[in-house]
Amino acid sequence: MNLRPSTILVLVVSAILFVLSANSYGFALTLAAFFTLGIFSFLYKDNPMYKFCEAVFVGISAGYWFVSLYYQNLLAKLIDPLVADPVGSGAIPYYVVAILGIMMLMRLVPSIGWISRWPLSVIVGATAGLWFITYLQSNAMLQLQNTIMPIQEYAADGSLNWYQSIGNLTVMIGTITGVIYFFFSKEHKGAFGTSAKVGIWFLMITFGASFGYTVMSRMSLLIGRMDFLFGDWLQLIL
Amino acid sequence: MNRSFVRSILLLLAVTAWAVFAVAQDDTTQPAPADTLQETAPVAEAPAPATNVRGEDTPGDEGGSITVFWDQSADDTGIDAEGITVIGYEIRRTIDADNVPFHSVGFAAPGSERFEDATTSDDSTYYYVVVTASRDGGRAESDVIGPVQSSPQWFNTNRTNVFIIGLIISAAILYFIASARKGKQLFIRRIAGLEAVHDAIGRATEMGRPILYIPGIQDMDDVQTVAGVTILGYVARTIAEYDTRIDVPTSRSIVMSTARETIKAAYISVGRPDAYSDDAVHYVTDEQFGYVAAVDGIMVRDKPATCFYMGAFFAESLIMAETGNSIGAIQIAGTAMPAQLPFFVAACDYTLIGEELFAASAYLSNEPKQLGSLKGQDVGKLVAMLAILAGVGLFTLAQLTGAETINNAAQWVQDQFLLN
Amino acid sequence: MANGETKNFWVTLMAIDRRVIFLAVAIAVSLPLFLNISQTIYVSPEVTDLYDSLEKLQSGSKVLISFDYDPPSAPELQPMAVTVIEYCFRNDLKMILMGLWPQGPQQANQALETVVGEPPGASFEFNGKTYVYGEDWVNLGFQEGREFIIQRMGSSIAAAFPRDYAGTPVKELPLMRGVSNFNNIDYVFNLSAGTPGTVEWVQLAGDRFHATIGAANTAVQAPMIYPYYRAGQLTGILGGMKGAAEFEAVVGVVGKGTKFMLSQSFAHAIVILFIVVGNIAFFASGRKRRF
Repeated sequence: MNLRPSTILVLVVSAILFVLSANSYGFALTLAAFFTLGIFSFLYKDNPMYKFCEAVFVGISAGYWFVSLYYQNLLAKLIDPLVADPVGSGAIPYYVVAILGIMMLMRLVPSIGWISRWPLSVIVGATAGLWFITYLQSNAMLQLQNTIMPIQEYAADGSLNWYQSIGNLTVMIGTITGVIYFFFSKEHKGAFGTSAKVGIWFLMITFGASFGYTVMSRMSLLIGRMDFLFGDWLQLIL
Repeated sequence: MNRSFVRSILLLLAVTAWAVFAVAQDDTTQPAPADTLQETAPVAEAPAPATNVRGEDTPGDEGGSITVFWDQSADDTGIDAEGITVIGYEIRRTIDADNVPFHSVGFAAPGSERFEDATTSDDSTYYYVVVTASRDGGRAESDVIGPVQSSPQWFNTNRTNVFIIGLIISAAILYFIASARKGKQLFIRRIAGLEAVHDAIGRATEMGRPILYIPGIQDMDDVQTVAGVTILGYVARTIAEYDTRIDVPTSRSIVMSTARETIKAAYISVGRPDAYSDDAVHYVTDEQFGYVAAVDGIMVRDKPATCFYMGAFFAESLIMAETGNSIGAIQIAGTAMPAQLPFFVAACDYTLIGEELFAASAYLSNEPKQLGSLKGQDVGKLVAMLAILAGVGLFTLAQLTGAETINNAAQWVQDQFLLN
Repeated sequence: MANGETKNFWVTLMAIDRRVIFLAVAIAVSLPLFLNISQTIYVSPEVTDLYDSLEKLQSGSKVLISFDYDPPSAPELQPMAVTVIEYCFRNDLKMILMGLWPQGPQQANQALETVVGEPPGASFEFNGKTYVYGEDWVNLGFQEGREFIIQRMGSSIAAAFPRDYAGTPVKELPLMRGVSNFNNIDYVFNLSAGTPGTVEWVQLAGDRFHATIGAANTAVQAPMIYPYYRAGQLTGILGGMKGAAEFEAVVGVVGKGTKFMLSQSFAHAIVILFIVVGNIAFFASGRKRRF
């Protein structure tokens, strides 16, 4: 690795700061703060500190997932139950999944790789079966059922509730034109084309709202980090 | 080894195991009862008891559940009512009304008239009593009912409408796939984004700079990746003619080999197999942000004139599209990930939104399964649109005219989509 | 000439170093953390509805709280978790904690610790009452299996979670006796940062097994969840930091949601400012989109 003097300087200064602050603020907190600042440093420009923090993060997360998968899946869902009761009738499903799992590994041997399609088809079939019904029920039928309503809504005193009525009309138009936009069996021409254009407007407004929410989310995460740095670590916030 | 022989053995094994497993399933959970209402001596005046108590097997379930119905206590007139205030109903049960004491199985809120006891065993019969409880500790028992037994059902009749609607959509999809296979031309509307694809390739050719193509970060089992790779085939055919350079970094090894096959086939189809090189497609890493970092590096170094993002994306969408934007590339995206669409719409020049990605893929590939699925879903959409128009129209008309029959008709339309 | 200079100004503005923007946002976010300004928090209908649905629960009702997130989303969701746990304690609701994400149960314990003030042991005193693990609350831990866990819980919770977080068989926990599936759960509260999360809870626990569900979501998720609320598939939604602050306001606690809201408002103000200035600069500099 080609270490430039500036890189060495950054590393040495960080190391000194780290040792000093770890003594006064607690080791774990300082470690967390060090990595937070290291990642933030990318905002100024790419630098060795950032690369180091990123590499540590990638390594730890890969290790964490491996350990988690081993304990939560392989051990808890297969080996433990089989060790506890290897011959009872309750063990049969575990043998079935163990065989399917081994079949999945056949993909490592190119000449018999086709065997891995069997367990894959079990996964795809089960997932598709579950989701076909759940999406049909929750995202299609119930949503549709809720869109079917009278447009005009009356207040308790019998007068027209404009706010609610316009809301109902908007939902209906938005739903219909949105579906028209995603209807592929007819060319977008004439009134149908105009409706599709209205539909895309509804979509764009939805995207705008979604984008706004995401900005809020990202800001919240930044606030959380700032609170950590100034509050938990430096204890400047009372 | 004979491949079909191995397959038969595997099939036999799987079926046997499944059958044994199905028979061996013997779930006789019989949890002990929990007291949800404190036993207090009835010192206060007792409320009127619940009447007309009935119990029956909960319909359309896998057994292990009995539903108890009753008519509210005459004193159940709201939590702020004057006089006796009913605070709820305690449901108690026993397996032998004469010899075994009743125990609590649950508590229902005031105003309710049913309770589902999901802790029964299908092998026993039960007797129930509903106890009305008042705020001052008064309690009144209903008549004892029973015996009731729970049982599993094969078909949930409550959800017949789901079955029928599912059947209609599936039948439509199968029908269109069959007709496409027979060679019938299925019409799909023009997709504006596809023209943009052509222009974008042309621009890269003129500028003599490469095209970057990202087929999402999911594996080949994701239908969006399949669509992304299909569109890659179309792009590859065009660049093979124009002799433009393409770079396809992938995040999955299987996507890499599939993309290579696709591009190779495209070069062969335009008669230029010699111009093809495996170098165009290369694997980077499975790690999401590691992949993004690499792609960003490629963008900044190679400065592609055009970037395509077609497939399944997550949080990396904006990072890539932002970098692409900063190097001034023309960007065309397509994804069905709703959360990522806003970023692509904001940062790209053209975006295939949601199903447009699949439509574009079906249109370009002319593959019966893709075409048929798309057309079949259109039938579902048509049903949805008609139902909304009919339902909303009828309800609105019913309110304007006050006609009972129109209202009933509207209600009928709405009820077809209700889940019981 | 003057016209050219104005145009140049906008062009320069368009080319502003992005680090200036980062710095401005960092200041906008950090500064309010040191200020002690109270902000009026308007409570939206979706939060009120969620609160009202909780209020309908009788004391002793069983509330299942699923922690489907991990530390990266904690700034948004942890305040909501803390508030809902505090609410359950105050109203004498029994809590069944679990997670569909591996780190969820740890977030649950952290939230409990925030409320109680000490790491939750076998029993602890809170507000003059003694709470016992296994009777007043349980932590079922995490189970791998994504949405299939919810599906399994629909027929048997004990089958989906044979043991709790500490390894005790669930059947030995007094609170779990008589809880066989969603029929014995009075309320499901889901804290979600992605998949599996609220969508799966609605589709499986709610629409399939008739559970009553309230959802707390990161702001990224929230727009996709609103249709479920509108159709009555959810009792209410807490969306992002704003939802957390509103929930704290309506429950009557002052937590991190309320505290962070000022930073959030400052950040939003500066983002809006940048969007407005950026758009003016875009049009004034005469730049056009290529397509």
